[in-house]
Amino acid sequence: MVAAASAGGTRIKTTRVVIAGVGGQGTLLATRLIAETAIKQGFNVRIGETYGMAQRGGPVMGHVQIGEAYSPQIRPGEANALLGFEIVEATRRAVTYLKQGGLVIVNSKKILPVEVISGMRKYPEEGELLKLLKQVSGKIAVLDATSLAEKAGDPIATNIVMLGALVVSCVLPFEKEDILATMKGLIPPRFMDLNIKAFQLGAKAFKESK
Amino acid sequence: MSNPIILNEPGKIVLFMGNEAIVRGALEAGIRIAASYPGTPASEIGNTFAEVAKEMGIHFEWSTNEKVAFEVVYGASMCNQRGMVSMKHVGLNVALDIMEMAALRGVKGGLVFVSADDPSQHSSGQEQDQRWLGKQNCVPVLEPSDPQDAKDFTVYAYELSEKYRLPVMLRTVTRVSHMRSNVKLGEFQKLGREAKFDFDQFSYVVAGFDKLFYGREKEANEKISRIREEFESSPLNRLVMSGKEKVGVIAVGQTYNYVMDALMKLDARERVAIIKLGTSNPVPEKLVSKLLRGVEKVLITEEPDPFVELHVKAIAKDANSKVELYGRLNGKLPGEGELTPLMVDGVVAEMLGEKLPTNPRAGLEVEAKDMLFSRMLTVCAGCPHRSSIYALKRAVKAMKGDIHKVIINGDIGCYGLAWAPPMSYEDTYFCMGASIGVSQGMSRVGVDAIAWIGDGTFFHAAIPALMNAVQTKTNIKVVVADNGVTAMTGFQPNPQSGKTAMGDPTNSVSIEGIAKAVGVEYVEVVDAYDLKAAEVAFKRMLQAPGVAMVVSRRLCATEAVRLIRPKRPIPYGVDVGMCVGCKLCLSTFGCPALNFDEEKKKASIDPTICMGCGVCAQVCGSSCISRRD
Repeated sequence: MVAAASAGGTRIKTTRVVIAGVGGQGTLLATRLIAETAIKQGFNVRIGETYGMAQRGGPVMGHVQIGEAYSPQIRPGEANALLGFEIVEATRRAVTYLKQGGLVIVNSKKILPVEVISGMRKYPEEGELLKLLKQVSGKIAVLDATSLAEKAGDPIATNIVMLGALVVSCVLPFEKEDILATMKGLIPPRFMDLNIKAFQLGAKAFKESK
Repeated sequence: MSNPIILNEPGKIVLFMGNEAIVRGALEAGIRIAASYPGTPASEIGNTFAEVAKEMGIHFEWSTNEKVAFEVVYGASMCNQRGMVSMKHVGLNVALDIMEMAALRGVKGGLVFVSADDPSQHSSGQEQDQRWLGKQNCVPVLEPSDPQDAKDFTVYAYELSEKYRLPVMLRTVTRVSHMRSNVKLGEFQKLGREAKFDFDQFSYVVAGFDKLFYGREKEANEKISRIREEFESSPLNRLVMSGKEKVGVIAVGQTYNYVMDALMKLDARERVAIIKLGTSNPVPEKLVSKLLRGVEKVLITEEPDPFVELHVKAIAKDANSKVELYGRLNGKLPGEGELTPLMVDGVVAEMLGEKLPTNPRAGLEVEAKDMLFSRMLTVCAGCPHRSSIYALKRAVKAMKGDIHKVIINGDIGCYGLAWAPPMSYEDTYFCMGASIGVSQGMSRVGVDAIAWIGDGTFFHAAIPALMNAVQTKTNIKVVVADNGVTAMTGFQPNPQSGKTAMGDPTNSVSIEGIAKAVGVEYVEVVDAYDLKAAEVAFKRMLQAPGVAMVVSRRLCATEAVRLIRPKRPIPYGVDVGMCVGCKLCLSTFGCPALNFDEEKKKASIDPTICMGCGVCAQVCGSSCISRRD
């Protein structure tokens, strides 16, 4: 019961972020990097993860809360930010969980589900999705994170591109240097250069977004 | 960085998932042995043990099934060693026979077993509440609310187990198993106990048969009464009450989090008395009575059944028959499934005479639901099961004219997704190994059936059923979808893997060897990626007179790609000049790497998703798919 009870005695503002994507996109590592960094800074952290039965391809969602929180789930309408690794998944979760006027950072990458591949459903138009997002969000940053990760050296680093964007958005209660230090502890040294590059490309893309 | 699970730094605060915290607790309690069978949401317990067992000098195994796992750990317990068994909730059904005996005969070395329940069935066929099995068998049940509890309760569970010589159930729900949070590390106990069988407690010869065999229920009931007394003042249960409150809550396990958040939101900490209940069996009656007598209304929150609530209702009869009980029994909370923060907010507000605003997004959520697909489950790109089921469907259609002339009884694993479009070829699945049994009943009454079962499930529970088919001459057909690993739960090894959970090489058990040994008359092994060969093999199986089996074999594509990392498989591509835009590959095979450009009317393959299996090239009627060497 350390988590919520020992929040330093003072009531601190709780930061809540929903991370949405598809199984296999590395959302779990992004979530872990945020949480490990927050713990090192002395914060209490609660993370709830929802993933279904499939190893890959199913919707996955992480709820990260830093500060005073008991439940591993964020209440509808209370997330400060939504980090979406796939645009349909981002829309699905933002509509429910994002605080009115909250921040959305979304990867424009489409991952087609079997309904679309086998011709049962159409993939919604990006414009339609953004229209929905605008009804709940005050700022939407659309990044081509997968291409940026490829530019950094490997599309697998998409999660780090997204993380770079989130960190420079100043939603989280810690600095860029803090999370880079955590990455050094969790990511094997031979992949560090690639990941730092991915992180910086994400940060830059966020700053350049309107 | 070494795994923080084994950090010898008491007092340090680290991030643990609930499942990891359980492992840490067991290691702090000085266990010597752990055994498990993989299953969501329990799998990370075993995965973590597998990672650290060698370094910690303990034995860990992925046992063939949960019953075996329990028996292995019970054997060590009779020799005064502490051990842990872990499984998903339905695994406890498999282990129930031995769990019941261990409760009656008692344990020597502390034995803690984890039942990772799955309310709202995030990854299970049902949401059975296993606390009833604890009650039925006089086993104490502890319910942590978060990772810190999970660690602390586990350490305590070993003391409790040895003090009362009972196995102890640590019961989690998915939200605790998969929650990550701060955990303060404790010390590793150095037990250094000699492994010695306790003849006086367990040997018929030494202790005497009658003494061991009869009258043990009475002893078990007495133990539970004494434990109830211990739980009345246990730190696992906390009553916070000033005496001025009119409303009370009994928050069981994980639901404590929802209650605390609700009280924060409603600014009602001062107005609500609360018991954080960590021991759901036996329920501490005096503690509960104290709350019942002090307030007018009491809410009981738990998941998924009204297990504690029923007990509270019985206690209320004597303690305060006027108290109004809220929960799943009076319909204020649903009768099944997980609770949600909103549900708890709502009922607490109602009890306090307040009203919460309704969801302003309701309309928008409906709009989104209409626009967005649900992202149906399917097997991965390159999955050999997709090829096997594709070939099987073709074989049945060719032989019988109509695919529904044969019932496909599937089983538990990734291949259970064969029902999903566009394959849409699997009629049933139930529980581990059931495919082979139910197929026999259908066949016996004249309905053709094929059992469609994976390798892990075959070893877990199918072999007795297969022998039954041979002995009764029930001529079912069996397809073993053999991808070499227990893939769905995270690639754990199984008896044919040739390696142990701790990574040591070992003997491999052969599926076809077992089939032949038990008398299956027709056994054939085929490469799942060779569609033509597989289809022919399935046709031969359908024509074979007796019990017949095809092992459709190919290593899980995801595992295969893991093994060649950092290299990537060579992807396939579409020759756009030759593609006729028929969409056959998409509409009948539907690999997630395939795509279609509606403007150009051409198929394409995403090289970042393609696993290079080349099966789509065999599906294509116009030979337009080839490897991009």
